[in-house]
Amino acid sequence: MRSARLLCPALSWPLLAAHALAAPPLPAEHLTMERLPPRSPHWVYVYDYVFDNEIDARVYLFDGDRYRRLGQIGAGFYASLNLSPDGGTTAVASTYFARGSRGARTDVVEFTDNTTLTVTHEILLPSKRALSVSSLFNLAYSPDGHFLYAAYMTPAASFGVLDPAAGTVLGEIDTAGCVEVIPSGHYRVSSLCESGRLLTVTLDAQGHELGRAMSEPFFDADQDPVFVQGIPTSRGNVFLSFLGEVHEIDFSGAQPTFTAPWSLVSAAGKGHWRPGGNQVGAIHRELGRLYVPMHEGGEGTHKDGGTEIWVYDLASHQRVARWPLKVHGLSRVTALQVSQDAAPILFAATETSDLAVFDALTGQLRHTTKHVAQSPWMLLNP
Amino acid sequence: MRKLDQLCERSARSLAQRTSRRSLLASLGQLLTGAALLPLLPMDRAGRAQAAEAKPRADSPEDCQYWKYCAIDGFLCSCCGGTSASCPPGTAPSPISWIGTCHNAADGRDYIVSYNDCCGKSTCGTCDCVRNEGEKPIYRPSRNNDLNWCMANADVNYHCTVSVILGVAEK
Repeated sequence: MRSARLLCPALSWPLLAAHALAAPPLPAEHLTMERLPPRSPHWVYVYDYVFDNEIDARVYLFDGDRYRRLGQIGAGFYASLNLSPDGGTTAVASTYFARGSRGARTDVVEFTDNTTLTVTHEILLPSKRALSVSSLFNLAYSPDGHFLYAAYMTPAASFGVLDPAAGTVLGEIDTAGCVEVIPSGHYRVSSLCESGRLLTVTLDAQGHELGRAMSEPFFDADQDPVFVQGIPTSRGNVFLSFLGEVHEIDFSGAQPTFTAPWSLVSAAGKGHWRPGGNQVGAIHRELGRLYVPMHEGGEGTHKDGGTEIWVYDLASHQRVARWPLKVHGLSRVTALQVSQDAAPILFAATETSDLAVFDALTGQLRHTTKHVAQSPWMLLNP
Repeated sequence: MRKLDQLCERSARSLAQRTSRRSLLASLGQLLTGAALLPLLPMDRAGRAQAAEAKPRADSPEDCQYWKYCAIDGFLCSCCGGTSASCPPGTAPSPISWIGTCHNAADGRDYIVSYNDCCGKSTCGTCDCVRNEGEKPIYRPSRNNDLNWCMANADVNYHCTVSVILGVAEK
């Protein structure tokens, strides 16, 4: 009889199903299109590089409170992207081939309305867009949103000045081998040079070059290069070096000024613990908090993700917290972003493509979304 | 539900009448004996040999730890129809490249290696390999592996990466 008691529930399902058929039917549904809710400071744009199929990159809009994807923006091949200063638009510079994976090349910037996630317009580019893994400075807006700068590389380096409102290319500025488009003032663009200097080009209101200046070297590309993934501050940018030096650049004056670098690691730990990953830090601008993925490793590990997140006070240069990740079952963190509100959350993408959400004040892990993307490379928020 | 109970009971009794505990033990014994004998069969040894070959050794060009790959970032052309120094059929090598300096433990020498991309088809998608010895950011392009080096080809689509010995590195 024990067998019967085990078997019988299994055999009785047709009777139960028949019973369910007697219940009233479900009502007919109406096909609709979901609309985005009002924008939240806890949203993040996850750039998926899609490394196994690079012609199909995309950007996912993710809600850090409800831990769910809200929508998607197409990003083509080797995309560069950024958000407009008001957060209302996502600009994606990409390359498409006429027949999917082959055929005539088209370089284009596509503008997506972030309230609807639909493409509103585009700007055709000359076929010289920099085909590099993305950073915040392959495509960047001027602070007032009037210009959009697009990095070119053929491999000769230059950048395009675009008018996003008119949908036009205004011109091209040669950068003498220096790379990236780092907004560094009203109509000023800075680029990193192999010599360790910063080239700064000033433009007029029509996007033409008014003048240029080269800084003194502020890093040594041989001994301790800086990551190109700079982190915006309230007055400029922070660039971290492979060995953990913090180079703060102030863009609020007529020309960039450099403060004396300070180190993320103690003298004893230098060369032992390092920053690393694809997006090597995030800053909460009002709190002055710097978050960095750190790992133990030697030369050549600068793309290894962090096994811990270290938190610094930018004013005092003191480390204020150290958050190990293994205790949460997380793999190495390769990209970080923090929301800019008063109750901030920290987003961390891992090398196994998960997305963790932490309380950015306490380090408490709130949620982990498994496999948020194929290759979550960079995290953006307004 | 009583009829269902009766049906179940009859089914269980029928199974018990057709099957003895002894026959169950006999079947289990055959299974265990067979499993114990399996490692002795030639087929099993061959299978394990194939399994060993399926995972390339570090001296294989299909393994990311192969010495020439010390500064590579991409899909190994050796896994995509090419070799460590030749592009797969139907693709085109990039005329420009980045370089690395890699140590060959077999002869104790350092070599300058050119990393060229093979272009014209979408990503190979297998044998992804990222190593960064001496790799520098994009402002030093000759040592940077983040760029798509198909950028100067007629078709800039990236497929995989080869590593070609240019010569012995002078000290």
